[in-house]
Amino acid sequence: MAQSLAYMGGGSGSAGGGTPSSSSRFSLPTSPPTSSTPSSASFYSHSTNPSTSTVSAPLPKRDGSRIVSAGPSSLQQTLFPSSSHQAPTSILDRPLNRTKGAEVSLGAFAFLFAEIVSYSQSRVDSVTDLEKRLSTLGYEAGQRILSLVLLRNTQQAGGKDPKREHRLIPILQFVHTQVYRYCFGKPADGLERSVEGEDEYMLTLNQPPLTQHISIPKDLSQLSCEAFTAGIVEGVLDGLDVPARVTAHTVGTDQYPQRTVILIKLDQKVMDREEALGK
Amino acid sequence: MTIHAVWVINKAGGLVFSRSYSDTLPALPLNTILILAGTLHGVHAITSRLTPGAGSGGMEAFEAEGWGGRVFLTSTGTKFVVLHSIPHTGLEELLKRIYEIYADAVMKNPFHTAEMPINSSLFESRLQGLIAGVNT
Repeated sequence: MAQSLAYMGGGSGSAGGGTPSSSSRFSLPTSPPTSSTPSSASFYSHSTNPSTSTVSAPLPKRDGSRIVSAGPSSLQQTLFPSSSHQAPTSILDRPLNRTKGAEVSLGAFAFLFAEIVSYSQSRVDSVTDLEKRLSTLGYEAGQRILSLVLLRNTQQAGGKDPKREHRLIPILQFVHTQVYRYCFGKPADGLERSVEGEDEYMLTLNQPPLTQHISIPKDLSQLSCEAFTAGIVEGVLDGLDVPARVTAHTVGTDQYPQRTVILIKLDQKVMDREEALGK
Repeated sequence: MTIHAVWVINKAGGLVFSRSYSDTLPALPLNTILILAGTLHGVHAITSRLTPGAGSGGMEAFEAEGWGGRVFLTSTGTKFVVLHSIPHTGLEELLKRIYEIYADAVMKNPFHTAEMPINSSLFESRLQGLIAGVNT
């Protein structure tokens, strides 16, 4: 494989005028230079200057061609690494259960998220539509996060006793603790039931990392870019068969001006099922 | 040390942010400050052309009786200007902190358009907090 590649490389090099590579292949097998030097010298002297320096010119040029001949082989090693040569693993080749070193820099993500928001904003007419778009993106992420977190939990437990919550409160605690920790490095700051209805729960995050640099202009005061997080929660809940309508609201306090509440309004089906399952 | 004012000038010489943090400065209308900032941009351009050698420097500080100014040019061409009282310490550190706040609160904000005036309450409040810690 490597030899055929080297041959192709040499052929294309000579076609492009790169004679050093072809001459180097000539000079490598013939270590006594008595026969090969005059021919290559005359070849060079025809192309460059025919008059005077035919004797002195070939020597440095042969040296140069030797240096070049070392070039392609090392280049091939970097382009087509052999199995012994360590290659940088892509995110797809990395083991799924390894979390160390897989974190994304918050600065890079903040720029990406800012671009996502402004891209989405240029394609919608209203605040509601923008939140819906961000939420849809989050939903896609949430579905994948659920699978990944469950898989990692099972792998950490040694593959036995795979666990998946089916009751409402453990599911919400799973989102509050494990999903939030996966996404933001720490559990959410609060999980409470709304005083208004049995079917409404609230997840709070005092300083949401995703939107910490975003300041909403006055004409969009209803917008909360945490709609993306709400989408993640919705995706996870939907994957656990707990359909809900999840929205994000910025409810700032003096201490935490960016405190965000993720409001989860559960489907009636979930409430019925909880009642049927009993305590 | 007192920080009298902070200006942010974009690479075209337009003033995109200005805030006064003390009442010792004469209260100027915004249009006047715009002209002054544009002039400062021009003076900076002149001084950077006059720099001996190949260095791409320019005016970094100016002083008058009792007060002065410090200019910090970023590699993207945005200029931060601080007007301060004369016995001063740690201005370079302060300007770097301002740059950091700018990078966080302005450049990572999807509702900000590059080279346009800064309308970020977050930037203002963080800057206010920083300056309040410096002003005595």
